[in-house]
Amino acid sequence: MPGGIIFEFPDLYLFPSGLWLTIQLSVISLLGSVVIGTFVAIARISPLAPLRWIGTGFVEFFRNTPLLVQLFFLFFAAPLIGIRFSDDAFEFNFRAALLGLSLYHAAYVAEIVRGGLLGVDKGQLEAARSLGLSYPQMLRFIQLPQSFRAIIPPLGNIAIALVKNTSLATTIGVAELLNAGDIVESRTFRTVEAYGAVALLYLVLTLPMGAGVNWLERRLAVAR
Amino acid sequence: MHRSLRSIAIMLVTLSVAAACGGAGTSGPAATGTAGASAATKPKFELSTFQYAIQTKGKLRVGTREDNVPFGLKNPATSKFEGFDIDIARELAKGIFGPQTNIDDVIEWTPVVSATRIPTLQDNKADIVIATFTINDARKKEIDFSSVYFKTGQKVLVKKSDSSITKVEDLVSKTVCSAKGSTSETNLRAKGVTKLLLLDSYPPCLLALQNGQADAISTDETILFGLVKQDPNTKIVGGYFSEEPYGIGFKKDRVGFQAWIDAELKKIIDDGRWAKIYKQWITPVSGDEKKNPEGK
Repeated sequence: MPGGIIFEFPDLYLFPSGLWLTIQLSVISLLGSVVIGTFVAIARISPLAPLRWIGTGFVEFFRNTPLLVQLFFLFFAAPLIGIRFSDDAFEFNFRAALLGLSLYHAAYVAEIVRGGLLGVDKGQLEAARSLGLSYPQMLRFIQLPQSFRAIIPPLGNIAIALVKNTSLATTIGVAELLNAGDIVESRTFRTVEAYGAVALLYLVLTLPMGAGVNWLERRLAVAR
Repeated sequence: MHRSLRSIAIMLVTLSVAAACGGAGTSGPAATGTAGASAATKPKFELSTFQYAIQTKGKLRVGTREDNVPFGLKNPATSKFEGFDIDIARELAKGIFGPQTNIDDVIEWTPVVSATRIPTLQDNKADIVIATFTINDARKKEIDFSSVYFKTGQKVLVKKSDSSITKVEDLVSKTVCSAKGSTSETNLRAKGVTKLLLLDSYPPCLLALQNGQADAISTDETILFGLVKQDPNTKIVGGYFSEEPYGIGFKKDRVGFQAWIDAELKKIIDDGRWAKIYKQWITPVSGDEKKNPEGK
Protein backbone atom coordinates (compact mmCIF):
# COMPACT_ATOMS: atom_id res chain seq x y z
CA MET A 1 0.00 0.00 0.00
CA PRO A 2 1.34 3.41 -0.88
CA GLY A 3 1.28 6.21 1.64
CA GLY A 4 1.23 5.27 5.29
CA ILE A 5 4.36 4.47 7.18
CA ILE A 6 4.47 2.29 10.21
CA PHE A 7 5.19 5.10 12.66
CA GLU A 8 1.58 6.23 12.55
CA PHE A 9 0.36 3.37 14.63
CA PRO A 10 -0.34 3.27 18.34
CA ASP A 11 0.70 -0.37 18.71
CA LEU A 12 4.37 0.42 18.26
CA TYR A 13 5.00 0.02 21.99
CA LEU A 14 4.70 -3.70 21.29
CA PHE A 15 8.02 -3.71 19.46
CA PRO A 16 10.30 -2.55 22.32
CA SER A 17 8.58 -4.86 24.82
CA GLY A 18 8.80 -7.73 22.33
CA LEU A 19 12.44 -6.98 21.65
CA TRP A 20 13.16 -6.93 25.39
CA LEU A 21 11.57 -10.38 25.85
CA THR A 22 13.54 -11.70 22.88
CA ILE A 23 16.76 -10.42 24.46
CA GLN A 24 15.87 -12.00 27.81
CA LEU A 25 15.03 -15.30 26.15
CA SER A 26 18.28 -15.21 24.15
CA VAL A 27 20.65 -14.34 27.00
CA ILE A 28 19.23 -16.70 29.61
CA SER A 29 18.83 -19.62 27.18
CA LEU A 30 22.36 -19.09 25.87
CA LEU A 31 23.78 -19.25 29.39
CA GLY A 32 21.61 -22.28 30.12
CA SER A 33 22.63 -24.09 26.96
CA VAL A 34 26.36 -23.43 27.56
CA VAL A 35 26.18 -24.76 31.13
CA ILE A 36 24.08 -27.80 30.23
CA GLY A 37 26.03 -28.39 27.01
CA THR A 38 29.38 -28.35 28.83
CA PHE A 39 28.22 -30.93 31.36
CA VAL A 40 26.80 -33.12 28.58
CA ALA A 41 30.09 -32.85 26.67
CA ILE A 42 32.04 -33.90 29.75
CA ALA A 43 29.64 -36.83 30.17
CA ARG A 44 30.15 -37.82 26.54
CA ILE A 45 33.92 -38.15 26.92
CA SER A 46 33.73 -39.58 30.42
CA PRO A 47 35.62 -42.81 31.17
CA LEU A 48 32.37 -44.10 32.71
CA ALA A 49 30.23 -45.85 30.08
CA PRO A 50 26.79 -45.09 31.63
CA LEU A 51 27.62 -41.37 31.66
CA ARG A 52 28.63 -41.56 28.02
CA TRP A 53 25.34 -43.26 27.16
CA ILE A 54 23.31 -40.60 28.95
CA GLY A 55 25.26 -37.84 27.22
CA THR A 56 24.84 -39.42 23.80
CA GLY A 57 21.13 -40.01 24.43
CA PHE A 58 20.68 -36.35 25.39
CA VAL A 59 22.43 -35.03 22.30
CA GLU A 60 20.68 -37.36 19.88
CA PHE A 61 17.25 -36.70 21.38
CA PHE A 62 17.38 -32.91 21.49
CA ARG A 63 19.28 -32.48 18.24
CA ASN A 64 17.00 -34.75 16.26
CA THR A 65 13.58 -33.52 17.29
CA PRO A 66 12.21 -30.19 16.09
CA LEU A 67 12.47 -27.33 18.58
CA LEU A 68 8.84 -26.45 17.84
CA VAL A 69 7.76 -29.92 18.96
CA GLN A 70 9.83 -29.59 22.14
CA LEU A 71 8.18 -26.25 22.92
CA PHE A 72 4.70 -27.65 22.29
CA PHE A 73 5.55 -30.59 24.52
CA LEU A 74 6.80 -28.40 27.35
CA PHE A 75 3.83 -26.06 27.17
CA PHE A 76 0.88 -28.24 26.20
CA ALA A 77 1.85 -31.79 27.16
CA ALA A 78 4.04 -31.40 30.25
CA PRO A 79 1.14 -30.25 32.47
CA LEU A 80 -0.79 -33.39 31.51
CA ILE A 81 1.96 -35.53 33.03
CA GLY A 82 2.15 -33.39 36.12
CA ILE A 83 5.01 -31.04 35.22
CA ARG A 84 4.07 -27.44 35.93
CA PHE A 85 6.60 -24.64 35.60
CA SER A 86 4.32 -22.08 37.21
CA ASP A 87 0.70 -21.38 38.09
CA ASP A 88 0.85 -18.21 36.06
CA ALA A 89 0.44 -18.75 32.31
CA PHE A 90 3.01 -16.12 31.37
CA GLU A 91 5.66 -17.43 33.72
CA PHE A 92 4.74 -20.87 32.50
CA ASN A 93 5.23 -20.21 28.81
CA PHE A 94 8.32 -18.07 29.39
CA ARG A 95 9.96 -20.79 31.46
CA ALA A 96 8.88 -23.48 29.01
CA ALA A 97 10.49 -21.43 26.22
CA LEU A 98 13.68 -20.93 28.25
CA LEU A 99 13.93 -24.64 29.02
CA GLY A 100 13.14 -25.71 25.45
CA LEU A 101 15.63 -23.28 23.92
CA SER A 102 18.32 -24.21 26.48
CA LEU A 103 17.96 -27.97 26.02
CA TYR A 104 17.77 -27.85 22.23
CA HIS A 105 20.83 -25.64 21.83
CA ALA A 106 22.67 -27.46 24.63
CA ALA A 107 22.78 -30.49 22.31
CA TYR A 108 24.68 -28.43 19.72
CA VAL A 109 26.87 -26.77 22.36
CA ALA A 110 27.72 -30.22 23.74
CA GLU A 111 29.02 -31.38 20.37
CA ILE A 112 31.14 -28.26 19.97
CA VAL A 113 32.57 -28.50 23.48
CA ARG A 114 33.24 -32.21 23.04
CA GLY A 115 35.14 -31.47 19.84
CA GLY A 116 37.11 -28.78 21.67
CA LEU A 117 37.95 -31.07 24.58
CA LEU A 118 39.07 -33.89 22.28
CA GLY A 119 41.18 -31.40 20.34
CA VAL A 120 43.42 -30.65 23.29
CA ASP A 121 46.84 -32.21 22.78
CA LYS A 122 47.12 -35.65 24.37
CA GLY A 123 50.55 -34.81 25.76
CA GLN A 124 48.99 -32.09 27.89
CA LEU A 125 46.62 -34.58 29.47
CA GLU A 126 49.32 -37.16 30.05
CA ALA A 127 51.50 -34.49 31.63
CA ALA A 128 48.63 -33.44 33.89
CA ARG A 129 47.97 -36.98 35.07
CA SER A 130 51.67 -37.70 35.59
CA LEU A 131 51.87 -34.57 37.77
CA GLY A 132 49.27 -36.16 39.99
CA LEU A 133 46.12 -34.20 38.94
CA SER A 134 42.89 -36.12 39.35
CA TYR A 135 40.59 -36.54 36.34
CA PRO A 136 38.25 -33.69 37.45
CA GLN A 137 41.27 -31.45 38.17
CA MET A 138 42.72 -32.22 34.76
CA LEU A 139 39.39 -31.33 33.10
CA ARG A 140 39.00 -28.14 35.09
CA PHE A 141 42.53 -26.78 34.87
CA ILE A 142 44.01 -28.21 31.68
CA GLN A 143 41.45 -29.52 29.21
CA LEU A 144 38.59 -27.00 29.45
CA PRO A 145 40.73 -23.81 29.40
CA GLN A 146 42.74 -25.04 26.44
CA SER A 147 39.62 -25.96 24.46
CA PHE A 148 38.15 -22.44 24.68
CA ARG A 149 39.96 -21.16 21.63
CA ALA A 150 38.41 -23.84 19.46
CA ILE A 151 34.99 -23.52 21.06
CA ILE A 152 34.30 -19.78 21.02
CA PRO A 153 33.76 -19.10 17.27
CA PRO A 154 31.32 -21.99 16.61
CA LEU A 155 29.59 -21.10 19.87
CA GLY A 156 28.97 -17.65 18.40
CA ASN A 157 27.14 -19.26 15.49
CA ILE A 158 24.97 -21.24 17.90
CA ALA A 159 24.19 -17.99 19.73
CA ILE A 160 23.02 -16.37 16.50
CA ALA A 161 20.86 -19.38 15.66
CA LEU A 162 19.44 -19.25 19.17
CA VAL A 163 18.40 -15.60 18.84
CA LYS A 164 16.53 -16.42 15.64
CA ASN A 165 14.97 -19.53 17.13
CA THR A 166 13.46 -17.54 20.02
CA SER A 167 10.85 -16.50 17.46
CA LEU A 168 9.29 -19.97 17.80
CA ALA A 169 8.22 -19.03 21.33
CA THR A 170 5.42 -16.97 19.77
CA THR A 171 3.59 -20.25 19.15
CA ILE A 172 3.22 -20.86 22.87
CA GLY A 173 2.10 -17.30 23.47
CA VAL A 174 5.32 -15.62 24.59
CA ALA A 175 4.96 -11.95 23.63
CA GLU A 176 8.38 -11.72 21.99
CA LEU A 177 9.38 -9.83 18.87
CA LEU A 178 7.63 -11.89 16.19
CA ASN A 179 4.50 -11.98 18.34
CA ALA A 180 4.55 -8.17 18.43
CA GLY A 181 4.89 -8.12 14.64
CA ASP A 182 1.91 -10.47 14.23
CA ILE A 183 -0.27 -8.27 16.38
CA VAL A 184 0.74 -5.03 14.68
CA GLU A 185 0.18 -6.62 11.26
CA SER A 186 -3.30 -7.83 12.09
CA ARG A 187 -4.35 -4.45 13.46
CA THR A 188 -2.90 -2.24 10.76
CA PHE A 189 -2.92 -4.43 7.63
CA ARG A 190 0.60 -3.08 7.04
CA THR A 191 2.10 -6.48 6.37
CA VAL A 192 5.25 -5.28 4.67
CA GLU A 193 6.06 -2.70 7.33
CA ALA A 194 5.22 -4.96 10.30
CA TYR A 195 7.31 -7.96 9.28
CA GLY A 196 9.94 -5.68 7.76
CA ALA A 197 10.36 -4.04 11.17
CA VAL A 198 10.57 -7.45 12.86
CA ALA A 199 13.26 -8.61 10.45
CA LEU A 200 15.24 -5.40 10.96
CA LEU A 201 15.08 -5.73 14.74
CA TYR A 202 16.36 -9.32 14.55
CA LEU A 203 19.19 -8.04 12.36
CA VAL A 204 19.99 -5.38 14.95
CA LEU A 205 20.55 -8.24 17.39
CA THR A 206 22.29 -10.75 15.16
CA LEU A 207 24.51 -8.62 12.88
CA PRO A 208 26.72 -7.35 15.72
CA MET A 209 26.95 -10.91 17.00
CA GLY A 210 28.09 -12.08 13.59
CA ALA A 211 30.68 -9.29 13.46
CA GLY A 212 31.81 -10.29 16.96
CA VAL A 213 32.23 -13.91 15.92
CA ASN A 214 34.32 -12.90 12.92
CA TRP A 215 36.46 -10.62 15.07
CA LEU A 216 37.01 -13.38 17.63
CA GLU A 217 37.89 -15.86 14.90
CA ARG A 218 40.54 -13.52 13.49
CA ARG A 219 41.91 -12.68 16.92
CA LEU A 220 42.10 -16.29 18.06
CA ALA A 221 43.70 -17.29 14.77
CA VAL A 222 46.42 -14.67 15.31
CA ALA A 223 46.97 -15.78 18.88
CA ARG A 224 47.45 -19.30 17.64
CA MET B 1 -5.37 -4.87 -12.09
CA HIS B 2 -5.38 -6.33 -15.57
CA ARG B 3 -8.48 -8.26 -14.81
CA SER B 4 -10.37 -5.28 -13.54
CA LEU B 5 -9.37 -3.33 -16.64
CA ARG B 6 -10.62 -6.19 -18.73
CA SER B 7 -13.94 -6.35 -16.98
CA ILE B 8 -14.36 -2.60 -17.40
CA ALA B 9 -13.47 -3.02 -21.07
CA ILE B 10 -16.08 -5.73 -21.45
CA MET B 11 -18.61 -3.49 -19.80
CA LEU B 12 -17.78 -0.62 -22.14
CA VAL B 13 -17.93 -2.78 -25.25
CA THR B 14 -21.22 -4.24 -24.16
CA LEU B 15 -22.54 -0.77 -23.51
CA SER B 16 -21.59 0.58 -26.89
CA VAL B 17 -22.98 -2.46 -28.69
CA ALA B 18 -26.21 -2.05 -26.81
CA ALA B 19 -26.32 1.62 -27.73
CA ALA B 20 -25.61 0.89 -31.39
CA CYS B 21 -28.48 -1.57 -31.53
CA GLY B 22 -30.84 1.13 -30.49
CA GLY B 23 -30.40 0.33 -26.86
CA ALA B 24 -31.53 -2.64 -24.90
CA GLY B 25 -32.85 0.02 -22.64
CA THR B 26 -32.78 0.20 -18.94
CA SER B 27 -34.53 -2.53 -17.12
CA GLY B 28 -35.79 -1.03 -13.95
CA PRO B 29 -33.96 -0.87 -10.66
CA ALA B 30 -30.73 -2.72 -10.18
CA ALA B 31 -32.29 -5.29 -7.94
CA THR B 32 -34.53 -7.14 -10.34
CA GLY B 33 -33.43 -10.39 -8.77
CA THR B 34 -34.78 -13.87 -9.11
CA ALA B 35 -38.32 -13.25 -8.00
CA GLY B 36 -39.31 -11.36 -11.13
CA ALA B 37 -37.38 -13.53 -13.56
CA SER B 38 -39.22 -16.21 -15.42
CA ALA B 39 -37.74 -19.69 -15.43
CA ALA B 40 -35.70 -19.33 -18.59
CA THR B 41 -34.53 -15.73 -18.41
CA LYS B 42 -31.69 -14.24 -16.51
CA PRO B 43 -32.32 -11.29 -14.25
CA LYS B 44 -31.84 -7.98 -16.06
CA PHE B 45 -29.48 -5.35 -14.74
CA GLU B 46 -28.48 -1.82 -15.54
CA LEU B 47 -25.67 -2.07 -18.04
CA SER B 48 -23.30 0.05 -15.98
CA THR B 49 -23.50 -2.18 -12.92
CA PHE B 50 -20.96 -4.65 -11.64
CA GLN B 51 -23.56 -7.42 -11.40
CA TYR B 52 -24.20 -6.94 -15.12
CA ALA B 53 -20.48 -7.32 -15.77
CA ILE B 54 -20.41 -10.57 -13.78
CA GLN B 55 -23.49 -11.87 -15.61
CA THR B 56 -21.88 -11.07 -18.96
CA LYS B 57 -18.63 -12.68 -17.93
CA GLY B 58 -20.55 -15.81 -16.92
CA LYS B 59 -18.63 -16.49 -13.71
CA LEU B 60 -18.95 -15.28 -10.14
CA ARG B 61 -15.60 -15.58 -8.38
CA VAL B 62 -16.16 -16.22 -4.68
CA GLY B 63 -13.40 -16.05 -2.09
CA THR B 64 -14.12 -18.33 0.85
CA ARG B 65 -12.44 -20.41 3.53
CA GLU B 66 -11.66 -24.07 3.09
CA ASP B 67 -11.36 -25.02 6.75
CA ASN B 68 -13.92 -23.13 8.75
CA VAL B 69 -16.70 -25.42 9.90
CA PRO B 70 -19.61 -24.77 9.68
CA PHE B 71 -19.22 -21.71 7.44
CA GLY B 72 -16.86 -22.67 4.67
CA LEU B 73 -15.29 -26.06 4.18
CA LYS B 74 -13.79 -27.85 1.22
CA ASN B 75 -15.01 -31.35 1.87
CA PRO B 76 -11.88 -33.53 1.65
CA ALA B 77 -13.91 -36.51 0.46
CA THR B 78 -15.76 -34.81 -2.38
CA SER B 79 -13.55 -31.72 -3.01
CA LYS B 80 -16.77 -29.71 -2.95
CA PHE B 81 -17.24 -26.54 -0.99
CA GLU B 82 -19.95 -26.62 1.63
CA GLY B 83 -21.19 -24.62 4.58
CA PHE B 84 -23.27 -21.62 5.57
CA ASP B 85 -21.20 -19.07 3.66
CA ILE B 86 -21.09 -21.34 0.62
CA ASP B 87 -24.87 -21.68 0.43
CA ILE B 88 -25.37 -17.94 0.80
CA ALA B 89 -22.92 -17.45 -2.09
CA ARG B 90 -24.88 -19.95 -4.18
CA GLU B 91 -28.12 -18.05 -3.56
CA LEU B 92 -26.40 -14.81 -4.57
CA ALA B 93 -25.15 -16.46 -7.76
CA LYS B 94 -28.72 -17.47 -8.54
CA GLY B 95 -29.64 -13.82 -8.15
CA ILE B 96 -27.20 -12.97 -10.93
CA PHE B 97 -27.51 -15.90 -13.30
CA GLY B 98 -31.10 -16.95 -12.66
CA PRO B 99 -32.50 -19.85 -10.68
CA GLN B 100 -32.31 -22.38 -13.49
CA THR B 101 -28.57 -22.32 -13.91
CA ASN B 102 -26.63 -25.28 -12.61
CA ILE B 103 -25.26 -22.99 -9.99
CA ASP B 104 -21.85 -24.54 -9.28
CA ASP B 105 -20.94 -24.18 -12.97
CA VAL B 106 -21.01 -20.41 -12.73
CA ILE B 107 -19.11 -20.09 -9.45
CA GLU B 108 -15.35 -20.08 -9.28
CA TRP B 109 -14.25 -20.73 -5.68
CA THR B 110 -11.09 -19.00 -4.51
CA PRO B 111 -9.70 -20.18 -1.16
CA VAL B 112 -8.80 -17.43 1.32
CA VAL B 113 -7.52 -17.26 4.89
CA SER B 114 -8.13 -14.41 7.35
CA ALA B 115 -5.12 -12.41 6.30
CA THR B 116 -5.68 -12.77 2.53
CA ARG B 117 -9.31 -11.69 2.43
CA ILE B 118 -8.68 -8.02 1.76
CA PRO B 119 -5.74 -8.50 -0.66
CA THR B 120 -7.77 -11.06 -2.64
CA LEU B 121 -10.37 -8.37 -3.32
CA GLN B 122 -7.92 -5.55 -3.88
CA ASP B 123 -5.93 -7.61 -6.38
CA ASN B 124 -9.22 -8.55 -8.10
CA LYS B 125 -8.71 -12.28 -7.60
CA ALA B 126 -12.33 -12.62 -6.49
CA ASP B 127 -15.54 -10.66 -7.07
CA ILE B 128 -16.84 -11.22 -3.55
CA VAL B 129 -15.39 -12.63 -0.34
CA ILE B 130 -17.75 -14.45 1.98
CA ALA B 131 -15.70 -15.87 4.82
CA THR B 132 -16.92 -15.04 8.37
CA PHE B 133 -15.75 -11.54 7.56
CA THR B 134 -16.48 -9.16 10.45
CA ILE B 135 -17.49 -5.70 9.24
CA ASN B 136 -15.45 -2.99 10.92
CA ASP B 137 -14.31 0.55 10.23
CA ALA B 138 -10.65 -0.30 9.61
CA ARG B 139 -11.63 -2.82 6.97
CA LYS B 140 -14.22 -0.47 5.46
CA LYS B 141 -11.36 1.87 4.57
CA GLU B 142 -9.91 -0.85 2.36
CA ILE B 143 -12.99 -2.51 0.86
CA ASP B 144 -16.82 -2.32 0.81
CA PHE B 145 -19.18 -4.62 2.70
CA SER B 146 -22.72 -5.81 2.09
CA SER B 147 -25.31 -5.52 4.83
CA VAL B 148 -25.04 -8.00 7.70
CA TYR B 149 -25.90 -11.57 6.67
CA PHE B 150 -24.86 -13.23 9.93
CA LYS B 151 -24.52 -11.93 13.41
CA THR B 152 -22.59 -13.40 16.24
CA GLY B 153 -20.79 -11.93 19.17
CA GLN B 154 -18.03 -12.60 21.56
CA LYS B 155 -18.68 -14.78 24.58
CA VAL B 156 -16.66 -16.54 27.23
CA LEU B 157 -15.85 -20.22 27.56
CA VAL B 158 -14.79 -21.68 30.92
CA LYS B 159 -14.46 -25.07 32.54
CA LYS B 160 -17.78 -26.49 33.66
CA SER B 161 -16.50 -26.68 37.23
CA ASP B 162 -15.61 -22.97 37.29
CA SER B 163 -18.19 -20.80 39.03
CA SER B 164 -15.97 -17.74 39.50
CA ILE B 165 -16.53 -16.49 35.95
CA THR B 166 -20.07 -15.75 34.86
CA LYS B 167 -19.61 -12.64 32.72
CA VAL B 168 -16.91 -10.76 30.85
CA GLU B 169 -16.31 -8.38 33.80
CA ASP B 170 -15.06 -11.36 35.81
CA LEU B 171 -12.19 -11.79 33.34
CA VAL B 172 -10.26 -8.68 34.39
CA SER B 173 -8.00 -10.49 36.87
CA LYS B 174 -7.97 -13.78 34.92
CA THR B 175 -5.76 -15.26 32.23
CA VAL B 176 -7.73 -15.36 29.01
CA CYS B 177 -6.75 -17.20 25.84
CA SER B 178 -7.59 -15.92 22.37
CA ALA B 179 -6.20 -15.98 18.85
CA LYS B 180 -3.30 -13.66 18.17
CA GLY B 181 -4.32 -10.57 16.23
CA SER B 182 -8.04 -11.33 16.15
CA THR B 183 -10.85 -8.86 16.74
CA SER B 184 -11.54 -10.95 19.85
CA GLU B 185 -8.16 -9.95 21.27
CA THR B 186 -8.85 -6.26 20.67
CA ASN B 187 -12.29 -6.54 22.30
CA LEU B 188 -10.81 -8.21 25.39
CA ARG B 189 -8.24 -5.46 25.82
CA ALA B 190 -11.04 -2.91 25.56
CA LYS B 191 -12.77 -4.75 28.42
CA GLY B 192 -9.71 -4.29 30.61
CA VAL B 193 -8.32 -7.80 30.26
CA THR B 194 -4.52 -7.60 30.50
CA LYS B 195 -3.46 -11.20 31.02
CA LEU B 196 -4.01 -12.32 27.47
CA LEU B 197 -2.51 -15.60 26.35
CA LEU B 198 -2.36 -15.26 22.57
CA LEU B 199 -1.95 -18.45 20.54
CA ASP B 200 -2.30 -19.16 16.84
CA SER B 201 -5.81 -20.57 16.91
CA TYR B 202 -8.49 -21.89 19.22
CA PRO B 203 -7.71 -25.61 19.57
CA PRO B 204 -4.41 -24.71 21.36
CA CYS B 205 -6.43 -22.36 23.59
CA LEU B 206 -8.65 -25.27 24.53
CA LEU B 207 -5.55 -27.23 25.59
CA ALA B 208 -4.35 -24.27 27.66
CA LEU B 209 -7.77 -24.12 29.33
CA GLN B 210 -7.71 -27.85 30.07
CA ASN B 211 -4.17 -27.55 31.46
CA GLY B 212 -5.19 -24.69 33.73
CA GLN B 213 -2.80 -22.26 32.04
CA ALA B 214 -5.77 -20.17 30.95
CA ASP B 215 -8.88 -19.52 33.03
CA ALA B 216 -11.08 -18.79 30.05
CA ILE B 217 -11.24 -18.59 26.27
CA SER B 218 -13.06 -15.77 24.57
CA THR B 219 -14.03 -15.35 20.94
CA ASP B 220 -17.03 -15.47 18.59
CA GLU B 221 -19.77 -17.66 19.94
CA THR B 222 -19.90 -19.78 16.78
CA ILE B 223 -16.27 -20.81 17.34
CA LEU B 224 -16.96 -21.54 21.02
CA PHE B 225 -19.79 -23.88 19.99
CA GLY B 226 -17.21 -25.97 18.18
CA LEU B 227 -14.94 -26.05 21.26
CA VAL B 228 -17.77 -27.14 23.57
CA LYS B 229 -18.43 -29.95 21.15
CA GLN B 230 -14.78 -31.03 21.42
CA ASP B 231 -14.71 -30.79 25.21
CA PRO B 232 -18.05 -31.25 26.96
CA ASN B 233 -16.42 -30.29 30.27
CA THR B 234 -16.57 -26.66 29.19
CA LYS B 235 -19.44 -24.20 29.12
CA ILE B 236 -20.25 -20.85 27.52
CA VAL B 237 -21.10 -18.09 30.02
CA GLY B 238 -22.41 -14.53 29.93
CA GLY B 239 -23.99 -12.57 27.12
CA TYR B 240 -22.52 -11.07 23.99
CA PHE B 241 -20.04 -8.32 24.82
CA SER B 242 -19.17 -7.51 21.26
CA GLU B 243 -21.04 -7.63 18.02
CA GLU B 244 -19.44 -9.52 15.19
CA PRO B 245 -21.57 -8.72 12.17
CA TYR B 246 -20.43 -10.72 9.18
CA GLY B 247 -20.69 -9.09 5.78
CA ILE B 248 -19.78 -9.96 2.22
CA GLY B 249 -16.73 -8.06 1.06
CA PHE B 250 -16.15 -6.62 -2.38
CA LYS B 251 -13.81 -4.15 -3.98
CA LYS B 252 -14.57 -0.46 -3.65
CA ASP B 253 -16.33 1.41 -6.47
CA ARG B 254 -18.31 -1.53 -7.86
CA VAL B 255 -21.12 0.40 -9.53
CA GLY B 256 -24.58 -0.46 -8.23
CA PHE B 257 -23.35 -3.60 -6.50
CA GLN B 258 -23.92 -2.51 -2.92
CA ALA B 259 -27.63 -1.79 -3.51
CA TRP B 260 -28.09 -5.01 -5.42
CA ILE B 261 -26.37 -7.32 -2.94
CA ASP B 262 -28.19 -5.76 0.02
CA ALA B 263 -31.55 -6.18 -1.72
CA GLU B 264 -30.67 -9.72 -2.71
CA LEU B 265 -29.66 -10.62 0.87
CA LYS B 266 -32.93 -9.15 2.12
CA LYS B 267 -34.80 -11.39 -0.30
CA ILE B 268 -32.83 -14.46 0.78
CA ILE B 269 -33.72 -13.67 4.40
CA ASP B 270 -37.36 -12.68 3.79
CA ASP B 271 -38.35 -15.70 1.72
CA GLY B 272 -37.03 -18.21 4.25
CA ARG B 273 -33.95 -19.41 2.35
CA TRP B 274 -31.69 -17.92 5.04
CA ALA B 275 -33.53 -19.81 7.82
CA LYS B 276 -33.19 -23.04 5.87
CA ILE B 277 -29.44 -22.55 5.43
CA TYR B 278 -29.09 -21.65 9.11
CA LYS B 279 -30.95 -24.78 10.11
CA GLN B 280 -28.75 -26.94 7.92
CA TRP B 281 -25.36 -25.62 9.04
CA ILE B 282 -25.63 -23.67 12.32
CA THR B 283 -28.38 -25.46 14.22
CA PRO B 284 -26.37 -28.69 14.59
CA VAL B 285 -23.70 -26.79 16.60
CA SER B 286 -25.80 -24.10 18.29
CA GLY B 287 -29.01 -26.03 18.94
CA ASP B 288 -31.14 -22.99 18.12
CA GLU B 289 -33.05 -21.87 15.07
CA LYS B 290 -33.17 -18.38 13.64
CA LYS B 291 -35.24 -16.73 10.96
CA ASN B 292 -32.82 -13.87 10.26
CA PRO B 293 -29.43 -12.55 11.37
CA GLU B 294 -31.05 -10.61 14.22
CA GLY B 295 -32.52 -13.82 15.56
CA LYS B 296 -36.02 -12.39 15.74
